[in-house]
Amino acid sequence: MHLPDMQYPPPPGGACECRLTYHDGTRRLVYCVDREEPFPDGRLIVSRTNLAGIITHANEAFVTMSGYTIEELIGAPHHILRHPEMPKAAFADLWTTIASGKKWHGYVKNLRKDGLFYWVYATVIPNVRGGVVVSYTSVRRKPSRRKINEMSDLYSKMLSQERAAQ
Amino acid sequence: MVAPDFSPDRFAGWHMVNTLLQSRSGLQLHLLTPSSAQEQADLLRHDKADLIYANPFDAAHLIRDLGFRAFARPVGKPDEMVIATAAASPLRCLEDLRPGSRIAVTDNRDVKLIGLRLLEAADLTDKDLQWVLVETFQAGARLTIKGEVDAGFFLAEIYHSLSRITRSQLKVLIESAIFDITHVLLAHQRIVGEIPAIMTALSGIGQRSADHEVLEALGIPGGFEKMNDEEAEFMVDLMDTLLD
Repeated sequence: MHLPDMQYPPPPGGACECRLTYHDGTRRLVYCVDREEPFPDGRLIVSRTNLAGIITHANEAFVTMSGYTIEELIGAPHHILRHPEMPKAAFADLWTTIASGKKWHGYVKNLRKDGLFYWVYATVIPNVRGGVVVSYTSVRRKPSRRKINEMSDLYSKMLSQERAAQ
Repeated sequence: MVAPDFSPDRFAGWHMVNTLLQSRSGLQLHLLTPSSAQEQADLLRHDKADLIYANPFDAAHLIRDLGFRAFARPVGKPDEMVIATAAASPLRCLEDLRPGSRIAVTDNRDVKLIGLRLLEAADLTDKDLQWVLVETFQAGARLTIKGEVDAGFFLAEIYHSLSRITRSQLKVLIESAIFDITHVLLAHQRIVGEIPAIMTALSGIGQRSADHEVLEALGIPGGFEKMNDEEAEFMVDLMDTLLD
C-alpha cells in the first residue's frame, strides 16, 4: 500500500530527508528530526493489524505518540512508523517470527508524523481464533535508557552492514 | 465467586449485588469470596464456581484453558497499579530504585505483572528485586511507611481507597494508565444458557434509583456492560504480551 510523502517542512538545518523503500516495494519520502519524544510513564501503546500489516485498531497512546490522527492510522500500513535508522533485518525477523505463529519481542525506533522519534520495547503476538491466525496485536512498553543506547549502537552497525551489502 | 482483590469496604456491595441478581434473574446464587489467590485456586480446582468475577491475569487461564465464557465487564473501571514509596523516602522516581530494592507485594499476580513491566524502564527485572510477600495491600502500605521496604505494589483502586492519613505518608512513584485491562465476569460452560438472564439482571442494576447505592457500594458506579468473546480474547492477547 502506497503512503504519501511526509509533508513536514524541514526546519533549516534541523532535519534529514530520506526516501524509504518498504518490503512491498513502495517508496516514501520522510523527514527525521534528531529529537526524541519521551515514552509516557505508565502507558502501553496498543495496536492491532490484519495479516497484511494494515492497522485495524490503535489505542489513545498510539495516536498521541505517533502524531497521526486515528483516521490517518486506521487503514494505513504499520510501516507508517518506520524510522530510516531501523535496519531491515529487524523487521524481517519480526515478520518471520509472527508468521510462524510465535511471539516477537524487540526494540524499535519509531518515526512520528512530525519527524521526531520515540523508542519502544515491542511485543507482537499472532491472534489465534479457532486454531487460525487472524490478526496481530502489538503492545509497546517503555524501554530503559541503557537498552536504548545499546540497541541504538547495534542498529547503527546493522544498518552500515546493510548499506555496504547493497 | 469474586476474585480476592477488592477493597474490604466493597464486601457489602458484593452481597447487595448478589441479592439483586438472585431476585431479578430468578437464579439461586451462593456468593464465594475467597480471601487469597490460593483459596481461589483451591475453589477452582474443586470446580466450585459457575460464575467468576475474575482479574485479567486469571481470566486468560479461565477462558483459554478451562473454557469459561466472558460476558460482562465493569464500565470505566480499568485495572491499574501503583508503585509507591514512603513520603519521606529519598526515592523520587522509578529510576531511583536500584537492584536489591525491597518491594512489598501481595499474591495478586496482575499487580505484580504490570508492576514488573513498568520497572523495565528502570532496568529492573524480577530477579533484581527482593520481594516481601504481604497478606494485604494495607499491610504493604504499613511496611512501606515504616521504611521496611523501599516500595510497595498496590492495586490502584485499593491504593486510592487507603485512608487520607495513610496516603499522606506515601509517595507515588508511578501509576499505570493502561485502560484496556479490566476484571471480567465469566460463566462456566455448564451455565452458558443462563447468561442472557444474568446479563439482563446485571445490566439492569443502575436503572432503578435505589440501585445506585448498590453500585456505589461496589465501587463500580457505571455498572456493567456486555463483553463479547472477541473483546475478551483481545484482552487475553494483551495480557499475553505482558507475560515476558
